[in-house]
Amino acid sequence: MAAESKLAPIRKGLLEFLVLKIVGAKSVYVPDILRQLAGTEFTTQEGTLYPLLSKLRREDLVQYEWKESDAGPPRKYYRLTDTGRAQLAALDEYWNLINRTIANFGH
Amino acid sequence: MQRIATTVRLNRSVLQFDDAAHARLEQYLAESASLLQSDPDPQEILADLEQAVADQCTRRMRPGQTVVTLAELEPALEEIGSVQAPGSATASPPREATPRVLQQFSEGAVISGVCLGLARHFQLDVTLLRVIAVLLLLGTGGAMVLVYLGLMLLMPYAPLQSGGTPVRWLPAKSRAFTEFLRAKLGVDRPGKIAA
Repeated sequence: MAAESKLAPIRKGLLEFLVLKIVGAKSVYVPDILRQLAGTEFTTQEGTLYPLLSKLRREDLVQYEWKESDAGPPRKYYRLTDTGRAQLAALDEYWNLINRTIANFGH
Repeated sequence: MQRIATTVRLNRSVLQFDDAAHARLEQYLAESASLLQSDPDPQEILADLEQAVADQCTRRMRPGQTVVTLAELEPALEEIGSVQAPGSATASPPREATPRVLQQFSEGAVISGVCLGLARHFQLDVTLLRVIAVLLLLGTGGAMVLVYLGLMLLMPYAPLQSGGTPVRWLPAKSRAFTEFLRAKLGVDRPGKIAA
């Protein structure tokens, strides 16, 4: 499908925004994030998410802490840093602006 | 028949793999490592992926099962997916092969292929380069000819492509002339000019 090739980069670009949103709502570990995204347009995999989270951590937008789990080894729980929270707010605002702009055209 | 299992430490978990699964695991981790070559922090991501593999395999094992086989590993790797660097294109196509060394191209050349080589190497517009070269030629009162001759001598020629664009008369003559000069000057193999 011709449109698909244009939609894929949009989804890819928005994944980071969405991950910030999810991590911003509450402290989560990767399977939580995958579960929340599963079934949406943004269904993704660990192979994509770990490199992305590593990048976000380097940019000081997220941080993680180890938490013991009932079964298996300790898990990495991610949450936003203050910088991350500020960036999420800015992205949110920009996203709303874009949506309004797009809605205003083509009438 | 005896089945030999290998014990593997995956980040914070230790699991046993049979030979086939062990080989597949090594392959996946090597692939991931090579995909993360340009990542500034591959160790962390690899550790996370190892943990993901361990968790996914553990989840798929029957109660009492001690050795991971391909039956658990394959679906686990399928679910984890191959490594995608953030910000890379969807299918992360291999980067366009830029010639590493500065070369002259006889095919499509006007004189010797110096401008064409520079344009391809630095990804510039060849027409623009040629116009600049002509302007410099006029502006420098001919000193540009020496510069061009120098580059002609120094830049190695790209091998001719069989079935490629035919080489025109002047580029063919230039190439022959350059090779003659190089032989005369004893610079048969010009030093490759690195990027």
